[in-house]
Amino acid sequence: MSLGTLPAVVDAAALASALDPSALLATGGAVDGLRTAARVLAEGIGKGAVYFTIAVGLTLVFGLMGVLNFAHGAVAMVGAYLGGLVLVIVVGANTGTLATILVFFVALALVFAVTTAAGSAMEVTLIRPIYDRTPTYQILLTFGVSLIIEEVARIVLTLRGIQPDPQWQAPMATAPDVLLGRTQLFGVGVRRLYLFEIAIGAVVAVAVWAFLTKTLYGLYIRAGSEDTEMVQALGVDVRKAFTVVFGVGTGLAAVGGVLLMWDPIWGPSVLLSIDVLLYAFVVVIIGGLGSFTGTLAAAGIVGIADSVTTWLFTTGIVTFPGLSEVTIFLLLVVMLIIRPQGLYGVEEVGGH
Amino acid sequence: MTALELDGVHTYYGESHILQGLSLSVEAGEIVALVGRNGVGKTTTLRTALGLTPPREGTVRFDGTDVTGMEPHEIAARGMGWVPEERRVFSHLTVAENLRVAAHSAADPDARIAEAYELFPALDRFADKEAGDLSGGQQQMLAIARGMVGDNDLLLVDEPSEGLAPQIVEDVVEALRAASADTTMVLVEQNFRLAMDLADRFYLVDHGVVVEEGETAGVTSDDERIRRYLTA
Repeated sequence: MSLGTLPAVVDAAALASALDPSALLATGGAVDGLRTAARVLAEGIGKGAVYFTIAVGLTLVFGLMGVLNFAHGAVAMVGAYLGGLVLVIVVGANTGTLATILVFFVALALVFAVTTAAGSAMEVTLIRPIYDRTPTYQILLTFGVSLIIEEVARIVLTLRGIQPDPQWQAPMATAPDVLLGRTQLFGVGVRRLYLFEIAIGAVVAVAVWAFLTKTLYGLYIRAGSEDTEMVQALGVDVRKAFTVVFGVGTGLAAVGGVLLMWDPIWGPSVLLSIDVLLYAFVVVIIGGLGSFTGTLAAAGIVGIADSVTTWLFTTGIVTFPGLSEVTIFLLLVVMLIIRPQGLYGVEEVGGH
Repeated sequence: MTALELDGVHTYYGESHILQGLSLSVEAGEIVALVGRNGVGKTTTLRTALGLTPPREGTVRFDGTDVTGMEPHEIAARGMGWVPEERRVFSHLTVAENLRVAAHSAADPDARIAEAYELFPALDRFADKEAGDLSGGQQQMLAIARGMVGDNDLLLVDEPSEGLAPQIVEDVVEALRAASADTTMVLVEQNFRLAMDLADRFYLVDHGVVVEEGETAGVTSDDERIRRYLTA
């Protein structure tokens, strides 16, 4: 193929029109431009809230234990399906908006409890015996667990007559109408689902922050992230802390999955497993493995980058459909080159 | 009463045989110094006592209980504290948080931390400061305070003067004297004179075994039985 046959990635006319100052002033477009920027920013924060929720469990587990949990995405996928199952069973055509949202939060709590218990059991039975081995063993083990979870999910879904790859529409259809439209905030139309995701992301962030900074267990985890052996030498049973953190990290992955269940960009599907894992890794690596603050900052950066590039594509300025993914992974590559430990990361965590 | 007893202990790092049948005994209330050249097994002795590097052979008894093979947190919870080489304070935690982690096992953590602040007023002033921002001397004070606040009966102190200016070393010595008022202490120290000044008795370690022991009173590094083990 000659270069001349390559499709144009940037639509020059659309770009010139969008950036033409005289046209903007003449038509009052400057105000519209500001509104668009505010809307893109708000949606970026919404996406960032989702990215934070799916990544924070991964960074907690790595921070204390030095374990890169490749089953994190698979657990999020299970969370999306379990949450969806609860909503499909409980929510009917006559269920009101408030009741539906209440059921959503009950599903969230149930899924968190079940997956936290399952994660704790996984740590005790599978991860604990290989702490003394090289990280390769932990990666292979958790990757194997991820494959098993995905295949079991495919089998179960197929037996239930649900296609595993396209999104499972039934739970997505339970989303109340109030979350589907846009709401005006300071003259800016923002999707209500994003506001809902921002609210949940904020609650998760505050809950994890309070757990880390206001509880004795959180103190052990932060100390253990720096020096596991020293914490043991101070009389703390680090194995118990490992079990709790792995359980909570797993539960948070599943909470992320429940949050994605209503989001038309994600939705329950087996492919959610790898999608969540990739984005979670991007966020924790950019933020700095093991850093709560870094995860929060990186989720915001990735969310806004995603939102801006999505706007560039939907307005036709850029015609390359993979712009968003390419930009996000470019951010990852640039970070690995200029600051491999990430925004807030330290070069070594947890003595690992 | 014997606070700590190591009996015929053999400890390895991988295939490296570090402690080669080392035995020692520390009575309650005394300060015992472990002296010797670099790499002879002094730090490994402390790590073995605390279960961080468990022995392959031999026995470790703490307050009369056989603790060989116990997990480090179980031994520490019985009242054995550690002030490690290079301090190892939690640099991203505040001074107060460092002490809070260590005081979790104390009957009254707040009272123990208040006592530590009384003993080390500088730590009280910097209670909300991240430990990583403290000077070397202040970090050493914090490491000692952290070893004290856990209601420990025995404190294992490793190279407390390492890398500190002489004036700061004097402060650290005073802190250790204060800490030893109600705690038995095992001290590993390269500075022979300092070790002899602080301790009641000493063990001279070489190639993973005790080669000399005795009272510290009147002992100098010029003593022939000492000098040949301290010079390369």
